Amino acid sequence: MIGIAAPLGYAAYLSFFQDRMIGGNVFVGFDNYRRALGDELFRAGLWRVLLFLLVQVPVMLGLALVAALAVDSGRLRKPGLFRIGIFVPYAVPAVVASLMWGYLYGDRFGLVGQIGDLLHVDMPDFLGSSWMLASIGNVVTWEYVGYNMLILYAALRTVPHELYEAAEMDGAGEFRKAWSIKLPAVRSALVLATVFSIIGTFQLFNEPNVMQSLAPGVISTSYTPNMYAYNLAFNGQQFNYSAAVAVVLGGVTAIVAYAVQIRSMRKEQGK
Amino acid sequence: MPPVRTRSRRRLLALVPAAALALALTACGSGGGSGSGGGSADPAAALDTPATITFWTWAPNLDKTVALFEQKYPKIKVNIVNAGQSATEYTKLQTAVKAGSGGPDVVQVEYFALPELALSKRLVNLKDFGAAGLESKFTPSAWSQVSVGGGVYAVPQDTGPMAMFYNKRILDELGLQPPKTWAEFEAAAVKIKESDPKRFITSIDPGDAGGMDSLMWQAGSRPFQQKDATSVAVNLQDPGAKKVSDLWSSLLSRKLVDAAPGWTNEWWQAMGSGQYAMWLTGAWAPGNIASTLPDSAKDWRAAPMPQWSAGENVSAEQGGSAVAVPSTSKNKAAAAAFAIWLDSDPQAVRSLNENGLFPASSELLKDQAFLDKPLASLGGQQANQVFASSSAAVGQGWQYLPYQVYANSVFKDTVGQGLTGDLGAGLTAWQKRIADYGNQQGFKVTAP
Repeated sequence: MIGIAAPLGYAAYLSFFQDRMIGGNVFVGFDNYRRALGDELFRAGLWRVLLFLLVQVPVMLGLALVAALAVDSGRLRKPGLFRIGIFVPYAVPAVVASLMWGYLYGDRFGLVGQIGDLLHVDMPDFLGSSWMLASIGNVVTWEYVGYNMLILYAALRTVPHELYEAAEMDGAGEFRKAWSIKLPAVRSALVLATVFSIIGTFQLFNEPNVMQSLAPGVISTSYTPNMYAYNLAFNGQQFNYSAAVAVVLGGVTAIVAYAVQIRSMRKEQGK
Repeated sequence: MPPVRTRSRRRLLALVPAAALALALTACGSGGGSGSGGGSADPAAALDTPATITFWTWAPNLDKTVALFEQKYPKIKVNIVNAGQSATEYTKLQTAVKAGSGGPDVVQVEYFALPELALSKRLVNLKDFGAAGLESKFTPSAWSQVSVGGGVYAVPQDTGPMAMFYNKRILDELGLQPPKTWAEFEAAAVKIKESDPKRFITSIDPGDAGGMDSLMWQAGSRPFQQKDATSVAVNLQDPGAKKVSDLWSSLLSRKLVDAAPGWTNEWWQAMGSGQYAMWLTGAWAPGNIASTLPDSAKDWRAAPMPQWSAGENVSAEQGGSAVAVPSTSKNKAAAAAFAIWLDSDPQAVRSLNENGLFPASSELLKDQAFLDKPLASLGGQQANQVFASSSAAVGQGWQYLPYQVYANSVFKDTVGQGLTGDLGAGLTAWQKRIADYGNQQGFKVTAP
């Protein structure tokens, strides 16, 4: 318990000080928090991950659900291979995945550029400012569809077989079974996966941080709140302010994740 | 290259991001300051006392020069550790010195980061360890960059006087001569673009503050000035900066220059395949060109930097490092003696140069054998003459901020974001971020 609480407590403690190059370390109360709440860079980063959350998470979980239903349907020729194939990207370290996709996205010598040359069309610049967030979303989706599929698939496996047989007796087809039995069965697993994804999205770091070397003019040091906290601490030596930003970010993440969880639990009870 | 770090995501339901935990660990223990250990301040005696010193550096092949040292002074053992490049290493150094232990005895520091580390007392004043009399051994610009607030905080190791590396094949094909002025450079840029819409005269890196600093330095701009211990001046709109931003804004908006990050796979491919005709950078580049572009000797040559007025000869530095002793070293005297030997002993300096570093040593820069040496990577051109003349023409009075590491890190947030058109606006935004940070850190910042 101490092992979990101590770093959190220390970060909170740090956030009440300010260590300046001239003037040294002083207690500043809530100054760092006041600054964080009014910080445009921090706010812009938060909006960015929120947008990412609203688009990428539904797409990723939708794909994961479709994949889980497909594996569970028993109609795939090689379900084991399919399952492994979708899951393998999760085993690839995020840094490697981002580097690899970064090379593919290159509009001159990357795969995208080569396809464009082959077809004699101008491909969009996936590393440009208008596409970057979508490009990162694609990488994250690629990485985590398999992981979420497994969570949902595990939930599907707990449905007793007799239920399907009974449904069949009543004349239900595959789609009816999926809609009326399988979807309600994965509900709580879906909520869990959503909460994980919300937390993961607010902590978005590896992918944009790696892609920054390929597109420094697009990905700023405050592109996501987590990158901002990191760069404040390690490039600017602003450990105290960084701690405050991290605490605020943690709070926002907790509130959003908790709100989603409460809402979906209420819905469940209401049924 | 910006550092690449691994950190897993979405694994645990941790409410506070990993960064907070990491910083909690790194920020612990303040103070430290000047350690007690040090032994004798006499370098000769220190070199005769058995000791082991740790040397953080990312320069390649340094082990060869260090081996020469260990042969000569067998009582001193030097451990070379690569603790990461540039900002990665400085962060580790800051952390280690703050914690009071775990840091190196000798450390490689680029000139731009030196004022920051020196003013925050992370480094030892080497004047106390026999470095006072070394001034004549180094180029004036290198020496002025290690002299901070009346002290000497490092020994210059290598420098990067600027040169214009150009692809001879492309220039020959278009009947062009290497441009001597920036006006000729602009004209050449137009011709190169006309010959093939995919070609650019060169690229400009949205993430590289150092490249922009060097161009401004050469144009006579002195944007960063430390007035005294607590006040600094920032002016990224002085006439020199204006000249640079006007020219490059115009080149960028006409797509004559490519805004692309350097050192990436794509960028080297573009260099190798003739999409870029030039690279304006420091004299350390031939080694990198040779190792990445195997056919470089066929194509690449060096020429002096284009000038703002015809007939002038003004240059600037791009990059370069010095070697310093952190204040927490337990073997300061031996460490300082090693640093001084490494960067000023004639045999050591020659060895460093043979292994790819461009010298900071004034003696070697005048050496006829060095000047006449044909460089295989540049088709046998005696390019050291170009570089040495550039070194002698470096504009005086350039300074870095006492928080340049931070300033450089937000270059891409400001100037880097505006590389499609108006550089001047980007420089103004950069200046604002620099001034804001300075004020937060307790400096008195004057900005226009």
